[in-house]
Amino acid sequence: MKNEYKIALALLIIGGLAIGGLYYKKSHKSVKVATVNKNLDSSDKKVIMPDTDEQSAAKIPAVEEYLADLKKLYEKGKSTLPLQKSELDNNGVVAQNVALKSKEFLSDTKMDNKLLHNDIMRVMPAISATLDDKSKKECKSSVCYVVEKYNYALNSTTRAIVDVKAKRVVSVKRYANSQPDISARLTNIAKEIALNNPKVIKELGHTPTPSEISMANVRSNLEQSPCEDKNHLCVAPTFADHKKERALWAIVDLTDLKLAIAKWAGLGKTYTPACIDERTLENRYIMKNFCQKDTNLTKFGWSMKYHLTGSDGLEIRDIKYKGKSVARSLKIVDWHVAYKGLGADKLDTTEPVMMAGHRVEFIKGVNNEYTFGYNDAMGCPMFSTSVVLAFNGPQIKEIKDKNGKVTGFYIVQDFRNPKWPMACNYRYENKFIFNKDGSFRVVAINMGRGCSDKAIYRPVMRLDIKLSDNKERFALYNGKDWDDWQIEQGYRSTGKEKMLDDKYLYKVFSPEDANEGYYIEPNRGQFHDNSRGDNEDVYVTKYKEDEGNEDLLTLGSCCKLDYDGPEEYTKDKELIENTDTVIWYVPTIQNDDKAGEEYCWADSIIDKNGNPSVRVWPCIVGPKFVPISN
Amino acid sequence: MKRVLPILVVLLLLGGVGYFLLNDSPKVEKKEIAKTFKLKEFNRVRSCAKIPQFLYSLGIKRPIIDLSQMHYKGIAFYYGARFNKVLHKKEWEVFDALGTYTIDNYGNIYLTPNPFISVRPSTFNLQKAIYKMDSKSGKLSRWMVIDDVKPNPTNPYGLISIVYDCDSGELIASSIDESNYKAQKGVIYQINPKTKTIINRIDGFDALTVNILHAKGAKYLIAGSARDNGVYTFTFKGDKIDSKANKLFEIPNPRLRVRKIRVIGKNRLKIEAIKFNYSLVAETNKKQRFVYIATYNPTNSTWSIAEPKR
Repeated sequence: MKNEYKIALALLIIGGLAIGGLYYKKSHKSVKVATVNKNLDSSDKKVIMPDTDEQSAAKIPAVEEYLADLKKLYEKGKSTLPLQKSELDNNGVVAQNVALKSKEFLSDTKMDNKLLHNDIMRVMPAISATLDDKSKKECKSSVCYVVEKYNYALNSTTRAIVDVKAKRVVSVKRYANSQPDISARLTNIAKEIALNNPKVIKELGHTPTPSEISMANVRSNLEQSPCEDKNHLCVAPTFADHKKERALWAIVDLTDLKLAIAKWAGLGKTYTPACIDERTLENRYIMKNFCQKDTNLTKFGWSMKYHLTGSDGLEIRDIKYKGKSVARSLKIVDWHVAYKGLGADKLDTTEPVMMAGHRVEFIKGVNNEYTFGYNDAMGCPMFSTSVVLAFNGPQIKEIKDKNGKVTGFYIVQDFRNPKWPMACNYRYENKFIFNKDGSFRVVAINMGRGCSDKAIYRPVMRLDIKLSDNKERFALYNGKDWDDWQIEQGYRSTGKEKMLDDKYLYKVFSPEDANEGYYIEPNRGQFHDNSRGDNEDVYVTKYKEDEGNEDLLTLGSCCKLDYDGPEEYTKDKELIENTDTVIWYVPTIQNDDKAGEEYCWADSIIDKNGNPSVRVWPCIVGPKFVPISN
Repeated sequence: MKRVLPILVVLLLLGGVGYFLLNDSPKVEKKEIAKTFKLKEFNRVRSCAKIPQFLYSLGIKRPIIDLSQMHYKGIAFYYGARFNKVLHKKEWEVFDALGTYTIDNYGNIYLTPNPFISVRPSTFNLQKAIYKMDSKSGKLSRWMVIDDVKPNPTNPYGLISIVYDCDSGELIASSIDESNYKAQKGVIYQINPKTKTIINRIDGFDALTVNILHAKGAKYLIAGSARDNGVYTFTFKGDKIDSKANKLFEIPNPRLRVRKIRVIGKNRLKIEAIKFNYSLVAETNKKQRFVYIATYNPTNSTWSIAEPKR
C-alpha cells in the first residue's frame, strides 16, 4: 500500500476512535445533565424572602415619582392615573382624554365617596378581536382606540373603545377579577423594585443593571396573580445567570409596591412558570428553613433554639440566660374560639356545620344560651394538622426604649387563614420577648377578624420553665404572702387581686435557692399595648413527656367556657412540690366591634392611596417573667 | 496533490462526522430527557360494579354517592329525577369523614377515610381502616384494619384511595401515611377481599388516587401522585402490580394534585385535581376541584391536556 493511503487509513482509524470516544462521553454527559436538570440541587431551587423592613420601596425615584403623581391626582379629586405622554401617540392622547371624561368608564373609581386607585394601562389602536359587532360597525369608518384601566381596589379591568375622530366612547366593558398587561411605567417600576432590593443584590452577588432583567411575557402567560393575595397586581421579572444555567424570578407586588418573594429556577422558561407563586414559594421556604429543623439564636446573653411545629405554633426551646437554664419549651398550643348565641332550645346539631374551613362545635348552656366555635391550631403550612398557617418565617427584631436605647429583642411569627380579614378568618401572632435584664414575656396576639362580636378567645400557653436543678416550686400571692402549690391544680384569676409590688401574682422558683426563679407578672393592661388584661386561668402540672412536650393536637373544648383543656392533666392531683413542672397560662379575651372601641378586630378598608388595605385592632395578652434576683 | 488527496478526503470525512455527532443539538438532548412511557391504547370498559341491593330495594337505581362532608358526615346518597332527594343515616357518621369509594360486583361499597378539618384523638385510628357498606343491609362497618398504617401529627393521612379490580376480584388501596417533606413513604396495597390479606405491596409511592386502566394486551394501575402534579402508571404483570412507576404526564398547574381519574373514552381520561399539601383539607366539594381532559396519542406516545369548556 502506498504511504499516503497508509497515513489516510491510520488517520481514519485514530480519528474514528477519537470521535467515537468523544461521542460516547457526550451522550453519557447528556443523560447525566438530564438527570441533573430533573432534580435541581437546593441552590437552584432556593427561595429568597425579603425582610419585612426592606419591603417598602418608597425610596426608589421611579416609585417616589409615581406616588407623588398619585397624590396630586387625589388632591384634585381624581383617582385614575393616566399614561404619560411618552407612552402615547397623537390619537392615543385623544383617546385617553375622551375616556377619562366618560362617566361610564370611570363609574367604578369611587366607592362610598372614597377614591379607588386606578391606572390606565394601555392605549392602542383597536384590533378586530377586541371589538364587538356594534363597535366593529362604527369603527369600520373611523379610527378607534382601546383604552384599558385597572382598578387596584376591586381587581377589575375596564376596557373602553373610543372613536378618536368623533371623540366619543363607543363601548365600555368591565371584567371582574381580571388583570391587564401593565403599562411601560409600571414595567419600569417593577424592574426598579427588583433591581434595588438588597436581597436580590445579595443573591446575584452584584448590583444588577437594567439590561440584565427580562420582562418578556411577564403577564400574558400568568393565569392568575402569582402573589399570595390573588387580588394584587403582580409581575415576575427575571435575572438570567447563563453561566449557571439558572434565572432568579422576582415576584413584584405592584399593589403594595414591594418585592414579595424571589426564587431561583432553571433557564429555558420563556414564560413565568406556575410554580412561581408567592404562597407555594413561601411554603417551601418555611418548610425547609423552620419546620424541618431548629434554628439556633444567641443574642444579648440569651441562647435558644426555635422551630415551627405541626400544630403548636412557634416553639422556643432550651432557653438559657447567661448560661443558666430558663425554660425547656415555650409555646402557644391552641386558640379556643367561642361565640355566644341564644336559642339553645331550638338548636339542631344533627348535621355538621362548617364555617370558613372550620367544623363548628356546639355546647348548650343554661337560659336558652349556647356557645359555638372551634379550636384553632397554628403551624406549618404543609404536613401538619393546622388550619391557621405560618405566613412568612419568624422575624427577629430589636426593642428600643423611648430614648432609642436597645433593651432587648423579640421573635414573632405570623399565622393566618388564607382569606383573612374576611369574616370567620383569623390571624394570630406568637411573640416571645427577651430583655437584656433577663426578663422575658410570652405574648399571644389576635388580629381578628372572627365571625362576629361576642367572641371569646382563649390562647392556651404551655410554659415549661426549667431551672438549673430541673426542679421548681410554684406559688400564688394571697395579698400578704406566698402560698406554695403542693399538688397539680388550677386557679382562675379575678383580675383584681392584690399583687406583690402591684405586679406579681405568681412565682416559680428553685427549691434549693429561693432567689433563683421568676416572678410572673400577669397582663393587666400595663404593657402600653392597648390590652384589656389577661383574665387568666393558670394551671401547674407535673412534667410528663406525653403531656405537651411533643405537638398537641387539640386540648380541651373551644366552647366549654369553664374548661380550658389543661385540667385534663391535673386530674390526678400529683405532687408537684420540688419536681419538674409545667405552667399552663390561659387568658380570656372578649372581642369588640363597636366603632371607636374595636378590639381583636380587623376591617378591610381603602387606604389614602386608594388601594385595598386592612386596619387591625389587635388584642395582646400574655405574662411577663421577671427574675426574682432583679 | 494526488498524494495528499486520500488524506484530505479522510480529514474532511472525519470533520463532517465529528461535527454532526459532537455538536450540541437541543433535539438530541430533548430526546434523552423526554423519555415517555409508551402506553398501549386504552378504552373504557364496562364496570362490574352493581348498585347496592339495599338501595335497589328502596327504589334507588341511580344514586350519586356524596362523600364531600359538606352537608352530611360519612356517606349520603342523592337520588330522584333532579337528585334532590337524599338518603343518609346517622349510623353512617360513626367513622367520621370518608374520602373515596369503590363498588364490587355484589354491590358492596368499600370506602377509605379522610381526616377532615379538625383532628381528634380518634382520627388517627380511623385512617388505618377500610370500611365496607354491605350491599344487602346497608350497614357500614370497619372491614379491614392495616396496622402498618400510622398517621401522626405531621401527616394525619392514612388510607386515602381504593379501587376494585373486576378481573381479579381484588381491592387495591393506597396509603400516604408517614410521608414527610423530605421522603415519600406511601404504600399501594393489593388485597384479597375474601381472605382480607395483603397479597402484594408497592412501597415508596404516595398515590392520592388509584384506578384501573385496560389497554390492548395490557392492564395498568393508574395513579395520581400526592407529591407532584403527575399521573403515573404501574403495569400489571400477571396478577401482580409491578413496582416501577412510569410517569405519563403532568397537569398544567404544578400546585394541584390529581384526586380522581376516570376513563371516559378511547384514549381519554377525565382528571379531577385539588390543592393538597398533607395538611387538613377543607376543600372536598366539586367547586374546589379542577377538571382536565387528558387525551393520549398512541402514535407518538404523547398527551394533550385541556380544560373542558364550562
